[in-house]
Amino acid sequence: MVVAGRRKSIAFFIALGAGLISVILLLYIGGVLFDWRSGILLFLGILLLTMIISGVVLNTAFLVREIRRNEQHDAFINAVTHELKTPVAAIRLYLETLQTRAVDEPKRKEFYGIMLQESDRLLTTIEQVLRTGRMGAASRKPNLLPIDLSGVVGECLARARILHDIRPESLEYHPGPPVTILGDLDEVRAAILNLIENAVKYSGSDVKITVETASVDGKYVSLRVRDEGAGIPRTELKRIFKRFYRVPGSLAARVKGIGLGLFIVRSVAKRHGGRAWAESEGLGRGSTFVLQLPIAK
Amino acid sequence: MSLILIVEDEKHLAEGLRFNLEAEGYQVQLAETGEAALELLVSGEQTFDVVILDVMLPGKDGFTVMSELRQAGNFVPTLMLTARGRSEDVLKGFSAGADDYLTKPFDLSILIARIRGLLRRHEWLRTSLNHENAVSTSPKPRDTFTFGDKSVQFDLLQLRVREQTFPLTLMEANVLRYLIEHEGTPVSRKSMLEQVWGLHEDTDTRAIDNFIVRLRRYIEDDPTRPRHLLTVRGLGYRFVAIPAKKD
Repeated sequence: MVVAGRRKSIAFFIALGAGLISVILLLYIGGVLFDWRSGILLFLGILLLTMIISGVVLNTAFLVREIRRNEQHDAFINAVTHELKTPVAAIRLYLETLQTRAVDEPKRKEFYGIMLQESDRLLTTIEQVLRTGRMGAASRKPNLLPIDLSGVVGECLARARILHDIRPESLEYHPGPPVTILGDLDEVRAAILNLIENAVKYSGSDVKITVETASVDGKYVSLRVRDEGAGIPRTELKRIFKRFYRVPGSLAARVKGIGLGLFIVRSVAKRHGGRAWAESEGLGRGSTFVLQLPIAK
Repeated sequence: MSLILIVEDEKHLAEGLRFNLEAEGYQVQLAETGEAALELLVSGEQTFDVVILDVMLPGKDGFTVMSELRQAGNFVPTLMLTARGRSEDVLKGFSAGADDYLTKPFDLSILIARIRGLLRRHEWLRTSLNHENAVSTSPKPRDTFTFGDKSVQFDLLQLRVREQTFPLTLMEANVLRYLIEHEGTPVSRKSMLEQVWGLHEDTDTRAIDNFIVRLRRYIEDDPTRPRHLLTVRGLGYRFVAIPAKKD
């Protein structure tokens, strides 16, 4: 209902903008036809008209953007609420169980394991949110140091394999020639982990992921993470990097997330003078995410 | 023993709840999606005493599941258990037809107390109804239908065949009652869906056939050659209390 209301107001304001512009144009053309000799007035008129038109256009554009952002904000708040409260609820439930009931040893061990997993999940969400906050603060510059890229990638892959219990052949790594980049280790690691994490999340039960690094013209190194999972519609390839944005539909409901991962990836790329983008043949046909960073001289 | 359905896609939470409710002596069944839950609840194969329903589910969300369930005429006591605690969410839950609403993270003892509350309310309602019936129409003839050497005791949800007693689910009893009320006349699958399940959409009417297969196993001497529950080709079924003599 709320969404429908917003759509309506977007449509209304666009129509209003278009209407105003056409009224002004009509009046103006009428004026010119009657009095075409006064050159200075004509010039001033054109100037004024351009200003009015651009004002109306800008106003409409900003309004539409603001409404969209609000919509995403709501979805984000819901997702974060869920991602923060669910692990706490699970941890609390198991702690209360251990406190109030007789639980045998194997079950007890299982419960401890579950609580650890849930606290990791909680920490990941908190880190994502905090990191997004830090990225937004312009004053914070990345702490640039020489990093061995394949070492970081290897470390991230090892972590993902343990965390998601993935067999080595389902998560392959083809390292290119060794390269050193100038980067903030913490940020670069977060970006790579986010890409691998996404590939796992959107692969469903049949995980098949290839990670490779290659140098581009000797200036850049590109890290490609390819999965054979859900895929991305062409129209969404750019939007998915926006903050809070998640592709609408049943997939977003099935795969939990808060819409910050790719935003972090792109921010890290930008802060390091590189870029990040996605490629996909379409829904159901897998996707490839590329993170390109400059090589240290 | 009360049977509780937990609709929750977070495996850890669902398993933790199951462990605790089983320790409390309840029987527990899990469903991961709203669609699966609706199928379990509407098919009537089992009668649940309480449903614990999450909101953020893959596919149909909890609010949708709740209102569809109530529209289908299923009034099982339901507690919505969700991370969404804003007042508009709580109100949405109640207006969808929830009996109770609890936000995550929750206190285990409070959750259990609320489940007990729902079960108790259900139980009280049943006793008070029985009491009313007893007062107004005593001595009321038992809600029983007898044919041949078999009798269906609708109030006890059981079927007696000679010395044997078979328990019936509520839905099985309702299907049987509907057929018996129309004894001798063919009943279409569609009308059964409408009258017994309260469904008006174009649901797959074949689901009924499974019920008939089960009922035949109880009441027919030879389920492969039914004599009471006859198939009317292209339409539905017909119940015959006293079948014609075998040739």
